Amino acid sequence: MDNIEKKQLSGKMITMIIIGIFVLAFLVFYSILSAMAPARKLAEIKAGIIGLQQSSESNKDDRYYSDSAFIKLTKEKAFLQARTSMAETDSVYMTLNIPDSTAKLGISGVEVHSAKISGMKISKILRSGNEYLISELFSSPMNIESDLATIKKEPLMIKMAPKDTSEFKPDIIPDTTDYEPVSYILEMDNGVRIFICQDADTITSDKNQLFFFDLSDRLKNTWSSLKSIARFKVPEYHPFIKIRLPKADAKILYRAIPRQGQIAVYI
Amino acid sequence: MEEDDKITSSPESGEVPKPDMPLPASSENVLKTSESFFQKVRENEKLLKLIRITLGSIVSIVIVLFIAIFVLYLVPALQEVISGQKTEFKVNPELKKDKNYLKQIALLTKDIQRLSKKYSSYTSGQSYIVINTTDNRFFLYKNKKLIREGFCSSGSYTMLKTESEKKWIFKTPKGKYWIQGKITSPVWRRPDWSFVEEGLPIPSENDPSRWEYGVLGDYAMSIGDGYLIHGTLYKRFLGMPVTHGCVRLNDEDLEAIYNTLSIGSKVYIF
Repeated sequence: MDNIEKKQLSGKMITMIIIGIFVLAFLVFYSILSAMAPARKLAEIKAGIIGLQQSSESNKDDRYYSDSAFIKLTKEKAFLQARTSMAETDSVYMTLNIPDSTAKLGISGVEVHSAKISGMKISKILRSGNEYLISELFSSPMNIESDLATIKKEPLMIKMAPKDTSEFKPDIIPDTTDYEPVSYILEMDNGVRIFICQDADTITSDKNQLFFFDLSDRLKNTWSSLKSIARFKVPEYHPFIKIRLPKADAKILYRAIPRQGQIAVYI
Repeated sequence: MEEDDKITSSPESGEVPKPDMPLPASSENVLKTSESFFQKVRENEKLLKLIRITLGSIVSIVIVLFIAIFVLYLVPALQEVISGQKTEFKVNPELKKDKNYLKQIALLTKDIQRLSKKYSSYTSGQSYIVINTTDNRFFLYKNKKLIREGFCSSGSYTMLKTESEKKWIFKTPKGKYWIQGKITSPVWRRPDWSFVEEGLPIPSENDPSRWEYGVLGDYAMSIGDGYLIHGTLYKRFLGMPVTHGCVRLNDEDLEAIYNTLSIGSKVYIF
């Protein structure tokens, strides 16, 4: 009796150990492929920019890319180029100036709103990657491909028309209380993701909602990474810019920028 | 030990007790004690099993949580630790003398000057108005300086639907517009939705019931597509999104804006 129990127990143990080894091996494999993703993204950016430069017959020396004066001017030109391009349209656009800590809205070259960035976190490949490549990446405006938010872009209310005058009720004062926490993610066409979140002065229910919003985004990304890894492919890496703004400003920026709007970044 | 000896043999009498013989009182006590002991052991086994299952579940939950935290938080953090190779700026005196380098710097400087000039030319030196529809505020500029600001009312984001699936969305358009017309003592021509909204039958195009006097204030400025900047009777709603798409202002602000802006002046709405 004891022997049978012992055998069952050792069988269970072996199964557990095998599962454990598989899980561990998968985690290691997942980590390695995920860690390779940023380098691959940087290589993609490099390939794209070099391709463009070759087609425009650039005669730049490699030494220029480690010259601070050259890089500073290149960055400045890239930002101006992107803003000028956006100003040629009549839509609302956004500019993020990281060294100045400002997020601005503009229409046709006129600055219509400015907000102070109170906190930021930037992807390492954007912050301390090859500066020349990054300035080239931002030399044209980025287009918003999709967005995910805790608030509605257009808070549309549906009202059924009364059948006759007896059903008519005059409009009541609208509820303008700010009860929703503001956090959103703008996914750009070049793979960059811009996270904008309200300042830290949040109540507990807001914190919970923001946590679940962040968690749902992480789950979505992890799921897409898992799908890539299951096919033995390096998962897609999205460089990010995370900024914190006062709640009112964060809301204004989100509601003002069109769904397929443009953004220029100066890092 | 003495008690045990008593059960198996009786040294005093030298007799071995028979099974059907009644046991002495002390032996019965021992039997009861041992039975309760085995009962406790059996109960403890159940308890142990329960503890084992609970511990197993806790360990499984901890493992799953660890995997989730690892995959959701640690791996993205790991990506940030590993990635990136910072550009190392080098002081190269030879480069500063290089003709091609100097040419490139001059080109870049020229491009920056050209782009800056172009970009600043977009900001009109003329008067213009900026309308913030999220906060329902306006900002009036003259010679690139803010000269007046205050509350306004913009579109309510209401969708009015009829049973026949006809619908109207009341929102203020965003982007760049310009003053296309200026009117004093404007008269409101009520559109179809104004009747539908009140449950009234829609009258003919030129029906007198369509004309309403004194509801738009003293002035109105048209920005195209039927949208106006005008006054209001409902001043308590200023600063709130309550209109059918037009921009409402109080009397003083409306007059100041009317006098500052001319036909062609830009209106920036966001």
